[in-house]
Parts: sequence; structure tokens; C-alpha cells
Amino acid sequence: MHTSDRHLRFGWRSLFVFLSLGLVLETLHGFKLGWYLDVSSEIRRLMFTLAHSHGTLLALVNIAAGLTLRTVKGFELTNAASLALLWGSIVMPVGFFLGGLVIHDGDPGLGVVLVPLGALLLLYGVGSAARSLGKITPAK
Amino acid sequence: METPPPTETQPRFRLLPDSWTARAGVLLLLGGLILTTGSAVYSHWLAVPPVNRPLEALKADYVSSDSCRSCHPGNYASWHASFHRTMTQTAAPENFAGKMDGLELTYGALDYRVDRQDQSHVVRTKPKGAPASAYGKPQAIVLLTGSHHLQIYWTETGEGRTMGQFPFAYVIAEKKWAPMEQTFLVPPGNKQVYDKGDWNTGCITCHATNGRSRPGENGRYDSQVSEFGISCEACHAGGREHIAQNRNPLRRFALHWSDKPDPTLANPARMDGPTATLACGQCHSISAYKDLERTKALAREGSNFRPGMKELDARWVAQPNSTDHPVERAELLQLYPHFFGDSFWPDGMIRVTGREMNGTMASPCYKGGKFSCMSCHEMHPAKTDQASLTAWKEERQMKPGMAESNQACLQCHQGMAAKLTAHTHHAADSSGSSCYNCHMPHSAYGLMRSLRSHQISSPTVRESLDHGRPNACNLCHLDQPLAWTAAKLTEWYHQPAPKLDPDDRTLSAAAQWLLKGDAGQRALIVWSMGWGPAQKASGHEWFYPFLTFELNDPYAAVRYAAWKSLQTLPGFAGHEFDYTTDDAKQKEALAQAYQKWWFTVRKPDGRFPAQTILQPNGMFQQDVFDRLLDQRSKRKILLAE
Repeated sequence: MHTSDRHLRFGWRSLFVFLSLGLVLETLHGFKLGWYLDVSSEIRRLMFTLAHSHGTLLALVNIAAGLTLRTVKGFELTNAASLALLWGSIVMPVGFFLGGLVIHDGDPGLGVVLVPLGALLLLYGVGSAARSLGKITPAK
Repeated sequence: METPPPTETQPRFRLLPDSWTARAGVLLLLGGLILTTGSAVYSHWLAVPPVNRPLEALKADYVSSDSCRSCHPGNYASWHASFHRTMTQTAAPENFAGKMDGLELTYGALDYRVDRQDQSHVVRTKPKGAPASAYGKPQAIVLLTGSHHLQIYWTETGEGRTMGQFPFAYVIAEKKWAPMEQTFLVPPGNKQVYDKGDWNTGCITCHATNGRSRPGENGRYDSQVSEFGISCEACHAGGREHIAQNRNPLRRFALHWSDKPDPTLANPARMDGPTATLACGQCHSISAYKDLERTKALAREGSNFRPGMKELDARWVAQPNSTDHPVERAELLQLYPHFFGDSFWPDGMIRVTGREMNGTMASPCYKGGKFSCMSCHEMHPAKTDQASLTAWKEERQMKPGMAESNQACLQCHQGMAAKLTAHTHHAADSSGSSCYNCHMPHSAYGLMRSLRSHQISSPTVRESLDHGRPNACNLCHLDQPLAWTAAKLTEWYHQPAPKLDPDDRTLSAAAQWLLKGDAGQRALIVWSMGWGPAQKASGHEWFYPFLTFELNDPYAAVRYAAWKSLQTLPGFAGHEFDYTTDDAKQKEALAQAYQKWWFTVRKPDGRFPAQTILQPNGMFQQDVFDRLLDQRSKRKILLAE
């Protein structure tokens, strides 16, 4: 499969998943569930909101990456950078989500350790993309 | 030699970019930076602290409650919702319970007027009846005490941080202003409950956290507190160290995954019974100072007691029947012979509210070493939505399900559940099968109402005969004489039958307390007449003439309780009465209420039992009524809440 296809497919599917999470969160608001809304669940609400927003944003980043690969001549992503971008886009929002499932007062659950790992993968993936674009000589 | 003119190839320093859009952006960023820096400098270095009220200044190892919020949002929310937090507040407009702007009141020989000036409210006084131009210099209201039943107001005095008292309290439930002394059970004519500086020396100890009076010269105070109201640190000592240690996430998660308490922080929920009780009892007890030196140190530096300690530092919890602190006890009674009498029944049971530790300590349950305030109350409920928090604080911060069930007692007395009716001799679903009603009756008084005794005991007739305390049975069965109670207690619990005089054999004990009892007894009985279980057990028809009669009681606190109970009876819902008015108007109101009952509410075919000192048609048995009233106790009652 072409790298651009991989990012586009992942991006749209991920967008569907994390937009759906948004719908779930709205439902939790709608039914005023204390498990999500009580002050003592503040950190859960924060974690889930971060999972939703990061997941959605990173899905769009992947779609943008796929489109860039298709439209910008000379732009390439190494397999490692592509996989880092993909896995970072999964690991980070899932880390937020797991961190919110079990909470300890003002601390998220241990699942939150996935977040910095995802962040590192994303930095590598995005950094590689930026460097690759920087190397392209603009057509005169 | 001339300098060559600059050429186009030489770089030129430019303060701002050429583009006007970019210039505007840079200037905007610069402006934002200046504003941010300026506000930070102002708030941290240039803001002038108020000089006309006690100052909030954290003592070395204290942290503010705001520091706890980010890690303990649920606990912070329950504390924030609690009446503990608002025990003392600064006089920000939103903290006032009553409408202040334009308020006009008269007390003694003075007229008072309150007006709003910017963000504060000021009081002016003038001689009673003088023209408005006679109003004097304004004094700002700077502190507020209370937010549940009563709110009390403190003013600047022009003497630094020394507080003066606005002589009126706001009765929150009634939305009514009352002279301060008419919100306490004190003898009539007892003027001005608090004097200048009393907040700085008295209230500061328990209505703020870590108060330091800091007396100066000429009766002035430079008082400081760590936080107004009862803050997190009041119950959880060690916040600063706790925060410092738990910046380390590995430490936090290790604690989350273990069941061990965090040694950096005191937590009453994890303490043994007596230690946890003392954490609450540092305020919720009658205490006395140990000696002059420690009293002075306390005034200068504040209390060194922290939750988790086994004893208060400068004070001792004063139990009338104990033998501890013999030297201090002897000195105390020499200086204040009425010290115990103002707060305890003659047998040593606490009779005022807010001092629950004295009752708890004297309870048999306490001796097991596990029983504490935390056995029945919780300061941080699991549910933190607004509705749950409101219900929790209105239910006296009880643990779930414990407010109106027997669950609190059944935690230990598990076997009692199966033999409940055999033990109580009342139907299982009746109020007579509630542990609280028999073992924690409403025999304490404070905040203008009766409250449950926190000394867990069993009802006896002897307590009423020997010490004048209405027993639990007759606080519910208001229509019954002591002889009836004695017979039941003998039959059910084999208590020895006491010798009773003819009145106690034939007349309602409650009616007797109302007519010949002292103000403390009368206050308890009129309150009980408004209590649902007592109305159900005793029949409320005969309450009307007694409650209307008590609208003219010499004690304001009794008049108030009588009025509130009268309002609970059919036909008198919303009945209006000014319990603070003068004697003539009270008599007028009494007559009107009596006529209203006699002509519109009384059932003409009602048969009033003879033991209630009423004739069958509802008129008083005048000879008995007069005889008992002649015997009314003239003892001055001052309950030191």
C-alpha cells in the first residue's frame, strides 16, 4: 500500500472514531452522569476531552499528511516516520482515554504514561515530514 | 576623512518592520507584555493589604485551601460547599446573607443605617429619632461570621485590626434582623453579647484557621489568621510538606496503588477514635486555658496544636466530672464559678451546641477507642454534584443513609437490628424505634433551636428529677407525666421506680416544664412541640394554648422557638410574629393568636386530656396553671454556646 493511502485511510477512520467519542462525551453531558461530570471527576473529564481533541486533530494531521504526499512533488516520508506518525496518533489519544478511565483524585490513571510515548513518536514523525519538505527545491 | 554614505547592500538596524500590519502586531504584543508585567508587579509587590481588619497571612508550615484544589478537586468541592468554609468571610458584597444597602435599624438609643460604598458596606449611627443629617462617621463592615443559621457582622473600629460589633444579627431562615442578644439564650436585658476586640480574642480561635490575636498596646490588636473560615489545614496538618513530597509523580502513584496513608499529611478519617475526635474537638468542645504563659503564647503565635496530636497545646478539654488537670480546674472554678453551669447540665452532660466532643467523650461508645465523629459524619462525601452536596451539608454532614436511619448505631450494635422492636417496645417504623430519639434526644440548645445531645445515653426519670433535664421519653410523649415514663422504664428495662410527687404522677411533665421550668427547659419543650414525632406521639391539639402563652416568655429565645413551633401547627402556617418586639406588643400578639386558635382552629368537640392542664373544652385549668406558674424558676439562664 502506498504511504499516502495508509495515512488517508487511517486519518478518516480515526476521525470517525474520535468524532464518535465526542458524541459519547456529549451524551455523558446530556444525561448529567456524575461519573463524568462531578467535580471529583474533573481529571477524568479533562483526560477524555484531551483524548477526543487530540484524536480528532491527529486524524486531520494524517489526512493532511496523505494529501501532502499525493500533491507535493518530491515530498516523501520514510517508513519509520510514517509509522511513527500513525502510532503516535493512536498512542497519544488512547493514553489520555485510559488515563481517564481510572483516576486517583487529581491524578489520572497509569494509562496516561502512553501520552509522552505518543508525543515522542509524533515529534519524530512530524519532524521528519518537516525536514523532508524543507529539502524540496521550489520549482522556478 | 568623510564617512562613505550607506549603500543598499549594508544591513540597517530597524526597530519596527516596514509593514504597517507587522508594526501593529509587534506593538500589540509589546502592549500585552507591559500590561501583564504591570499587573503582576502590582498584585505581588505594590498591592496594599487592608489595615482595618485581621490579615490573612499563612503561618510557616500552612498552605491555603486553594493549594489543595488541583489534586483533590472532589474534596475541595465538598469543603467549598460546607458551612465550615464560610464560618468567617470578608465582607465582599456577595457574602452578605441579608440585604444591606439602605438598611435602617434601631438599637437602644441609636439609629443605625447601612449603605454601600463601592465594594464595601458602611454603618453610620445617630441618636434615636435625630434627623438624617446627624448620622456620624461611617464605619466599614469588614468581616462576617456564619452563613447557615445566623450571620454576624464586624466593623472596623479605627484601631487597626481590632474588630467592633454591629449589634444586629441576621436570622437567615427568617430573613430578619434581630439584636444580637436575642439570638442567644441569655437573660432578658443582657445587652451587647460581644464587645470591641472580642472577635480578635475569642471568635478568632475557632471561626478562622490558625488565628493569632497579636494584642498590642491600649487594647488594640494586630490580628492575623492563616485563612478565614475553617480551611483544609484546620483538619489536615502538614500541607506544605505533603505538597512538596507529592510533586514526585512516582510517589503519588505508589500511594495510589497502596493502602497506606500518606505520612506527610494528617487525615482524621484514618486516625484512632480519640485522636480523630480531638481534631474536631479543637473547636467542637468546651475548653479552658492551661496557664497564663501559654495563653499569651497562643495569642502571639496561634495554636501549635495540629490534627493528629493527642492533646491541645495551650488549652484542655474541660469535662465537669473528670479529675484531669486538677490545678487548672481549681483555678478555673475560682475565676469562673459558673464555667460549667453555663454549658452543662448538673450531671455533667453538655447542653449547648457546637461542643459535641464533650458529649462524645462521655459516651460509653468512646471508650472502645474507635468511635469518633467520623463514625457518623463525613467531611468529604463521594458524590460531589451540587444537589448531593447541598443535601449533605443540610443533613449535618452525615454519612450516606445515617441521617434518619439506625445505621450509625448498627455499625457496632449489629445484633440489635434483629431484635429492634423487642428492645424499643415501639413499632419498627415508628420514631420510637429510632436509636437517636431515645439515646441522643434533643436536650442540647444552640443557634435558636434544640439539637441532639452527643452524649449517648439511655433515658431515665432520674435525670429529669435530679438534674432538670427533660428525658427522651417525655421529649416525645409531651402529654405524659413522669409517672407514666417511670412505669414504662421499670416494666421494659427494670429501672428502679423513683418516688414522685403528686404533680409528677398526674400532670404532663412537658406542661410542667413549660410553666415552672427555667428558660433552658422551656426552650427545649417549645421546640419539641414543633417536632413532628412529638406531635404525632402526643397529639398536637393541646399545644396551641401553651405555645401562644410562650409568645410572651421573658426570654427572646423561648419566644422565637414557640413562634416557630406554632407555625408548624395546622391553621398557623406562616403566622406572623415579631419575637423581638416589646412586652406590650407581645401580649397583643399572644391574645390575637389565642383568639385565632379558640375561634377558628380549636375543634369544638375536642376533648383535652386532664394531664395537659387543660379543661375538656381547651381552657387552662386555671388553679393548676396559676400554681405552677407561681413556682416558675427565676434562675437566670445563660447558655454559653
